[in-house]
Amino acid sequence: MDALKHSRWVPVAAVALYVAIPVLCSIYYAVFPGGEFSLRAYSVITEDASLAAAATRTLTITVLTVITLVVTLVPALVAVHLWAPKLRPILEILCTLPLVVPPIAIAAGVMALLGMAARQGRGSVPNAISQFLQNPDLPLILVGTYVVLCLPFTFRSIDAGLRTIPLKAMVEGSAILGSSTFGTIFRVVIPNIRGSMLFSVFFAVALCFGEYSLAATLSQQTIPVWLDDVSSNNFRASVAIAVLLNMTTWGLLLVATLSAGRFAPAGRAARAEKKLQKKTTQKALAS
Amino acid sequence: MNATTPASNEVTLEGVSKAFGPTTVLQDLDLTIGAGELVTVLGPSGCGKTTALRILAGFEKPTDGRVLVGGRELTQVPPNRRGIGMVFQAYSLFPNMTVQDNVEYGLRVRKVDREKRRRTAQDMLEMCGLGEFALRFPAQLSGGQQQRVALARALATQPEVVLLDEPLSALDAIVRVQIREEIRRLQQQLGITTMFVTHDQEEALAIADRVAVLRGGVIEQIDVPRAVYQNPATEFVARFVGSVTELGAAADYQGGRLPVRAPGGDLDTLFIRPEDLTLVPEPDGDCTVVSQIYTGERTTIRASSQERDAEGNPLELITSVSAAEAADLTPGTRVSPYVMSSPALRVTAAERHVAEREAALEAGEGGLRAAGAASVQAGAAR
Ligand SMILES: Nc1ncnc2c1ncn2[C@@H]1O[C@H](COP(=O)(O)OP(=O)(O)OP(=O)(O)O)[C@@H](O)[C@H]1O
Ligand SMILES: [Mg+2]
Repeated sequence: MDALKHSRWVPVAAVALYVAIPVLCSIYYAVFPGGEFSLRAYSVITEDASLAAAATRTLTITVLTVITLVVTLVPALVAVHLWAPKLRPILEILCTLPLVVPPIAIAAGVMALLGMAARQGRGSVPNAISQFLQNPDLPLILVGTYVVLCLPFTFRSIDAGLRTIPLKAMVEGSAILGSSTFGTIFRVVIPNIRGSMLFSVFFAVALCFGEYSLAATLSQQTIPVWLDDVSSNNFRASVAIAVLLNMTTWGLLLVATLSAGRFAPAGRAARAEKKLQKKTTQKALAS
Repeated sequence: MNATTPASNEVTLEGVSKAFGPTTVLQDLDLTIGAGELVTVLGPSGCGKTTALRILAGFEKPTDGRVLVGGRELTQVPPNRRGIGMVFQAYSLFPNMTVQDNVEYGLRVRKVDREKRRRTAQDMLEMCGLGEFALRFPAQLSGGQQQRVALARALATQPEVVLLDEPLSALDAIVRVQIREEIRRLQQQLGITTMFVTHDQEEALAIADRVAVLRGGVIEQIDVPRAVYQNPATEFVARFVGSVTELGAAADYQGGRLPVRAPGGDLDTLFIRPEDLTLVPEPDGDCTVVSQIYTGERTTIRASSQERDAEGNPLELITSVSAAEAADLTPGTRVSPYVMSSPALRVTAAERHVAEREAALEAGEGGLRAAGAASVQAGAAR
């Protein structure tokens, strides 16, 4: 009986080891060059200007991707839930489509399209658009593609969030108090689906931080692409930065998971209740 | 109603109809609520009270007809630009905000500065007896407390027109009377035009300037509370508002001892309020007291007749007496009914025949239409 109980942990431990060992190895490799602790590998952060550029680029792309996702998908989903529930399956199929198309196919498609536009010749409008989208300072083409890649997960998460709240009642309650629909979405709907929102945001962040093949194909030096480039001449530095990146992403996911519970209205209510009780007991003790 | 209040907040529904698919919920509804007037809307569940309110608020577009506030047509104006306050049947508080923030919300939307918002919200909460709950979340309040928050939230923006959808249904008897009097006082003081939906006929009569009785999407009667109770316009109103005894009477009956007979045939139907009916113990009385229900100040006496109606059930008589009188009316006592003042409603045999014929005709027409239309849908619409 006891053995059975403990044996349940075997697969968990196996998975933990499977995940942990490579990470531990890379940490060891990064900060123990030649068996002695040293953070020298991280000096690349200050020494290599291209890392800062890549980091800025990645961050810009991430922020724009997240904003685009939230600003387009949340109102669209709220509208569908409120006024056109029949359109929901259509939206769902559209948003899930990127899941069945391999990212590399998307990359190839985007490449082909940009190439075709570029071949229209210098000075032509398609060529200009193609150049604009691939501007290395602000590669909008990556933002667009990442938004598409994030759609399935963001859709599912926000859709599930909207199902759990009395959306119609909230929106009507807000409207009669004078709020516009957009105001309502930002003041009332989003705060009430915080968990879903945070999950979507952090998923998008993780994707933007880690995506390699598209960025490489479009020769945009984001952090993953930079890592790959650097690994050929300074392997330790690339591993060191990869560890850092890994930690950041995991940290974000942890924050997401924790805050999803913490920001849920029920959780907030429970904490406020506790605070209230503390106050009253303090008052009672004081008097 | 009130000459000093500008007519800017008179509310009018003009020939409003509403159908959800094949179901007609409101039919050609005409209703005017004068500036500063409080009209209660009374009716059975599903008669369209909430729907009428939602059309006024702008959440539903009427299939036909117009909505006017202060002479301005609002039929196409969205809810957030109507400036109407509303308390929903289901409260609809924002669960992510504290009570205080909920009440402040309307002011926040109007960009009122923080200090003034705080003050107004506190005043509103104090008024609704919620001062100590300001920092709680709605999930930490009882149903009645939530309802009061909804009320405070609706009044915080000082709207000129307020719609209340059963705002007191979750409160206990004492708080209920307190709050409804508070609503009434505020409403009169600020001259708020108010439409107040309720299930509770005592409440409807107690606070209204006028009572509208709604049935199947049609207003059966709209009048001052006393008139609705004492002179109901239709049998439905007589039965729905207050309790009533229905008895048949000869065309020349003018009061006094009433031989108990079932309504029907060439008899008039009398609808008699409990206070107009006296049961006198008589050894050869044609009714028997069935029960006494003690309700505090008065005692309700129910009696049933030997006489049967068309379905073979005994007729029921209801009256209310003081405790002293109740001593003579113990269950089992033989009694005879006396009608002391004129009954609330008298439907003559001729009127009843006309009504019956009309009803039959309507049913026939309905049947014909049903045969024409897709039969399933018409069946559902009934
Ligand atoms: N969105 C809708 N779609 C279809 N039918 C509806 C809709 N809303 C209301 N109805 C129908 O309209 C009728 C009137 O509903 P309404 O909510 O106005 O009733 P009510 O008088 O407020 O009842 P209650 O006292 O129970 O609240 C009901 O028969 C209801 O089923
Ligand atoms: Mg209702």
